[in-house]
Amino acid sequence: SETGLQFHEVLPRNGQVYQEDLPTTVLCKPKLMPLKSVTLERLEKMQRDAQETVKEQE
Amino acid sequence: MDPLFLAYSYFRRRKYEQCVELCSQLLDKNPYDQAAWSLKTRALTEQVYIDEVDVDEEGIAELIMDDNSIAQVARPGTSLKVPGTGQGAPSQGVRPMSQSGRPLTGFVRPGTQSTRPGTMEQAIRTPRTAHTARPVTSASGRYVRLGTASMLSSPDGPFINLARLNMPKYSARPNLAKSLFEYIFHHENDVRNALDLASGATEACQFQDWWWKVQLGKCYYRLGMYRDAEKQFKSALKQQDMVDTYLYLCKVYVRLDQPLTAVEVYKQGLQRFIGEASLLTGIARVYEGMNDMSNTVQFYKDVLHQDNMSIEAIACIGTHYFYTDQPEIALKFYRRLLQMGVYNTELFNNLGLCCFYAQQYDMTLTCFERALSLASDDNMSDVWYNIGHVALGIGDLTLAYQSFRLALASNNDHAEAYNNLGVLEMKKGRLEMSRAFFQAAFNLAPHMYEPHYNFASMSDKVGDLQSSFNAARRASDAFSDHMDSKQLLSSLRKHFAML
Repeated sequence: SETGLQFHEVLPRNGQVYQEDLPTTVLCKPKLMPLKSVTLERLEKMQRDAQETVKEQE
Repeated sequence: MDPLFLAYSYFRRRKYEQCVELCSQLLDKNPYDQAAWSLKTRALTEQVYIDEVDVDEEGIAELIMDDNSIAQVARPGTSLKVPGTGQGAPSQGVRPMSQSGRPLTGFVRPGTQSTRPGTMEQAIRTPRTAHTARPVTSASGRYVRLGTASMLSSPDGPFINLARLNMPKYSARPNLAKSLFEYIFHHENDVRNALDLASGATEACQFQDWWWKVQLGKCYYRLGMYRDAEKQFKSALKQQDMVDTYLYLCKVYVRLDQPLTAVEVYKQGLQRFIGEASLLTGIARVYEGMNDMSNTVQFYKDVLHQDNMSIEAIACIGTHYFYTDQPEIALKFYRRLLQMGVYNTELFNNLGLCCFYAQQYDMTLTCFERALSLASDDNMSDVWYNIGHVALGIGDLTLAYQSFRLALASNNDHAEAYNNLGVLEMKKGRLEMSRAFFQAAFNLAPHMYEPHYNFASMSDKVGDLQSSFNAARRASDAFSDHMDSKQLLSSLRKHFAML
C-alpha cells in the first residue's frame, strides 16, 4: 500500500465477540431547574405577603 | 417641606407606602385635593403592578370550553396545543418532558407554569399540594386573590368605592382618568369597571388616543373577548406604533392558538423597531411553545446580540446545550448568569449539574451545597433529586437512595424520584417495593414514559404479561419513538398471538 503500513486482522480464538442488547430499566433524567422570571418572582412574593397579611388579621 | 412635594419624592424613590400615608393625610385635610388623590392611586397601583405583557393565566374553563380556536384538530406545526414536530429538539429520552409534552424549559414565566393539558382529566388533576393548582377560570385566578388581599390589609375599607364612582365624570377628565384606570385595573382587578371607564374615556377623546385603545384591548383580553381585543390593538397600532401594542396583539394570537400569525406580527413589529429584544424574545417563546428548538435557539441568540444581559435567553440556550450533550457550553452560559448577579437555588443547581457532566468534579458538590442552603420548600426536592443523579454517577448507590428519599421528603409528589427509587429497588431485587414506586410515579406523572416502561419490563420478567402489555402501550403512547418499549410490545403481541 501507499503508506507501507500493514494491518492484520485480529480474530478472537474462542468465538466472536458480541454484545447482547439487554433491556434495562430507565432512570429519569437529571433535571435542570428553570429560572424564574422577575414577574413570576414578584407575583409569588406578593402572594406570600398577601397570605401573611390575611393570617395576621385572622 | 411641602408635604405634596415630599410625597412625590417618595413616589420617585419607590417608597410607596410612605407616599400613600402622606397622601392620605393630605386627603384627610382636603378631600378634594386632586393631585394627592391621583398620586395616591398611582402609588397604590405601583405596589401591586405587574407587567401586563407577562400576565397569563388560563383557567380550566378557558382551556376546556375554548371556542376561539379555529380548528379543534390542527395541522402539526400550526398550533400550540399539540406539541410540534420536535425539530432540532433532543429526544424525550434525553430531555425531560413537561405535562404538555414539551421539553422542559429553561425559564418559567407566569404563562409557562400552566401549560395546556390535553384532556379534561389532566386539567383538573391537581396535586395534593396546592401551589400548582389551577384556578377554575382566570376570572377567579391569582390576580383577583391578590386584589382581595390588598383590600383586607386596609382597615377602613378600599380607598375608592368603585360602585359609587361617577364614571362619566372621570372619563371626561384625562388628567385623572389614566391613573384611575390603572388603579382599577391593576389594584382592584375590577376589569368590568375598568372597561367602563376606558370606553367612556376613548369616546371623550373622539377615539383619537391610542393609549385608551390599548387599555380597552387589555380589558377585553382579560374578559376573554379576544377578537374585540385584537380590533382595539390593531386600531391603536394604526395611530401609533408601540412595542407594547405589538406584544399585546401577539398575546391575543397566542391565546387564539395562532402561533404563526403571532410570529408574523412580531416580525412586522421588528420592521418598525429593528432589533427590539422583547419582540425577538416573543418569537423565541412562540417557537418554544411549538417545540421547534432550532428556531427557538436561533431567536434567543438574536436576543443576546441585542441585549446580552437577557436572563431568559441565556437560561434557555444553556438548557438547550445541556440537553444536547454539551454541558461544558451550558456551564459557560450559567456562569455568565452568576457573573450577572443571579444568585438562587435554581442557578446553583444547574451549575452543579453542568459541572458534574462537564467533568469538573471539584465544583460539583460545592454548587449543590450552595443550592441546598438557598433552597426553599418548593425547590428543595429538585436539588436533592439531582444530587441523587450525581451519586448515581459516582456509583454511590446508598447516597443516591438517600437523596431520592430526601427529594420525596420535601415534595411527596416528585414522580421522577419515585421512578428512580423504583429502579434502585429493582437492582436490590426487591420487586414489590419497586413495583409500588413505579406505580406511584406513573400515577403522578402519566406523561413520563420511564415509569410505564420500567413497570412493563418488570411485569414481563415476573410473568404478569397483561399488565406488562398495558404499561408498554402507555409507554409508547408517551414516547412513540422509544425502541425498547416497541420491542417489548411486539414480542408480547407475538406471544399473545401464539396462545
